Amino acid sequence: MAGNSGPEFDHIFKLLLIGDSGVGKSSLLLRFTSDTFDDLSPTIGVDFKLKLVTLSGRRLKLTIWDTAGQERFRTLTSSYYRGAQGVILVYDVTRRDTFTDLSEVWLKEVELYSTNPDCIKMLVGNKVDKDAERVVSKQEGIAFARQYGCLFLECSAKTRANVQLCFEELVQKILDTPSLLADTKGVKKNLLRPEEPYNPQAAPGAGNCTC
Amino acid sequence: MKPGNDDPRKGDGSLNSLDRRLNQTLKSVQGLLKVPGKILLSRKGTEAAAPSASALSDSPFRKDVDDEAGTGPRDSGAQSTSTSKGEAPRSNGSNKSDGVVDSERPSSSPFGSSTSSKGSSTDSSRPSTGGRATDTARVARFRKELSSPAVNLDALRELAWSGVPPDMRPTVWRLLVGYAPPNADRREAVLERKRQEYIDCITQYYDIPDADRTEDERTMLRQISVDAPRTVPDVPFFQHPEMQASLIRVLYIWAIRHPASGYVQGINDLATPFIVVFLSEYLEGDMERWDVSKLTPEIVKNYEADCYWCLSKLLDGVQDHYTFAQPGIQRLVFKLKELVRRIDEPVSTHIEQQGLEFLQFAFRWFNCLLIREIPFSLVARLWDTYLSEGDAFPEYLVYVCASFLLTWSDQLQQLDFQEMVLFIQHLPTRNWTHQELEMVLSRAFMWRVMFQQAPSHLSSG
Repeated sequence: MAGNSGPEFDHIFKLLLIGDSGVGKSSLLLRFTSDTFDDLSPTIGVDFKLKLVTLSGRRLKLTIWDTAGQERFRTLTSSYYRGAQGVILVYDVTRRDTFTDLSEVWLKEVELYSTNPDCIKMLVGNKVDKDAERVVSKQEGIAFARQYGCLFLECSAKTRANVQLCFEELVQKILDTPSLLADTKGVKKNLLRPEEPYNPQAAPGAGNCTC
Repeated sequence: MKPGNDDPRKGDGSLNSLDRRLNQTLKSVQGLLKVPGKILLSRKGTEAAAPSASALSDSPFRKDVDDEAGTGPRDSGAQSTSTSKGEAPRSNGSNKSDGVVDSERPSSSPFGSSTSSKGSSTDSSRPSTGGRATDTARVARFRKELSSPAVNLDALRELAWSGVPPDMRPTVWRLLVGYAPPNADRREAVLERKRQEYIDCITQYYDIPDADRTEDERTMLRQISVDAPRTVPDVPFFQHPEMQASLIRVLYIWAIRHPASGYVQGINDLATPFIVVFLSEYLEGDMERWDVSKLTPEIVKNYEADCYWCLSKLLDGVQDHYTFAQPGIQRLVFKLKELVRRIDEPVSTHIEQQGLEFLQFAFRWFNCLLIREIPFSLVARLWDTYLSEGDAFPEYLVYVCASFLLTWSDQLQQLDFQEMVLFIQHLPTRNWTHQELEMVLSRAFMWRVMFQQAPSHLSSG
């Protein structure tokens, strides 16, 4: 990561993982960036990971924000949608509530907070290794993706099935969307910075401050 | 410190003697932290910090009580000066090397992590390992305090702040949080009543059919059940089914009795030190070898109730950390940012220039009270200090977080935004011992003393 003498990548993308608590967002990301699977504590607030990949001959720096799923953290996580080129909506195929929350909660969050109108959405059904416990069928996932204009894959962070593919397809689609490639050359220093995280306490005070 | 910075404390004839004593203490503490970083007190921070005499004598110096005549920093002048000179000679001209000079013996400070300065000169049986908590003189003081018919809580806080001997922790913690009454005559009866109250809650709220719960309650219980197996996942002990069951019950009862917040992730982490400490009353040896399947229902009831009540007391002080939009955390993060700016301007400027928001890393710190940032084996020690702080705890926590962050002041300044986020997410504390932790706590304590009487430190300058 050192050596900032010239960009070591052609594009820098900001991706975001969202979805209910416990669906495996952090595990998916860990599998993707480190190819490991581990027991992880629930994410508090937001975690961040980096990965350099080469796709279609282009060197890409992926910056990935992994958000906490619990509702209480939503005011905090909402500031991270800004500027994202891709959003991964994750559910757990063994828990229907995590699937229904995607349309009732998470897509609305994307609508509200995303600043890229062409932002690519990727629907991911995780934990397909637990086939005996599956309650959300693949067809339902496909139907959802069609209705809301998302890419779709089922995967397992545990067995690594489809995990790489899910990030690759998302990134490929971003590469194929010219409007998303503006400002991704990494020239802007703070491209990744979530602008002004929501701060209900400090905001009024800061606003009044004229010094 | 950066090369070229003048030592702000050097040759300032205007300093009164108290200031000098404080500065001496400062130097002693600065010598303590060898790894992983040097202590930074920026010029500006120190200037702003110079406390008035009254500030110093008013401040509740709870920490050092080994000297019978008084407490460490307050009258540490002669004592710590002599020990500092004797054991940790260093140049007065620049504190650039302070962080590394004192490589042989870190116990010279009255804040020392091993023994007090007095202890080191009079107690020949000073343990070579462990901490102050096992210092025989301190142990005796704990025993004396605890055997009193009415425990003096202020005295106990002073003692416990610097670490509680492990075998006394359960008793001390119950007293510190105000769960067990100081009056020995009443203690057993009160604990018995409280424990029964907890059991009644279990019967009333937990041991009921799912159909009798509201939708919200079901959601909460589901969330707690999802989180229990991933609570401190690197400590296998918590994976025991009995531990899982206890954790779920404690969290659920707490959540249902605190509807304004309900269960918020991270509270599960906060319950774990209580579980370990209160179980230690019934199980011997290393916790990883504890056989929890042998616990009788009576023991489970008692230890679990103690966990519940102490967790409740701890959380009472930080309730608004977990209510909607978590305003308590937002407020402390804001204070932390301001405090860091006053203490270490270069780092503060760097963080700002890189566009890193304090909320991005400090949110978890406050939400989990730093429990995720240090090895689990050190958490009970951290809790000793937290619980000793009482009502002042949330404010002190801001200083602890500042002290924690600035442990890596130098490193942070070398990193860009992305590197900084990654670095702070996994700070190199894996090999930390009590020594590094106590360094953080002591420095936080000093900074609070210095800034407390200078409230302008929280206004923007």
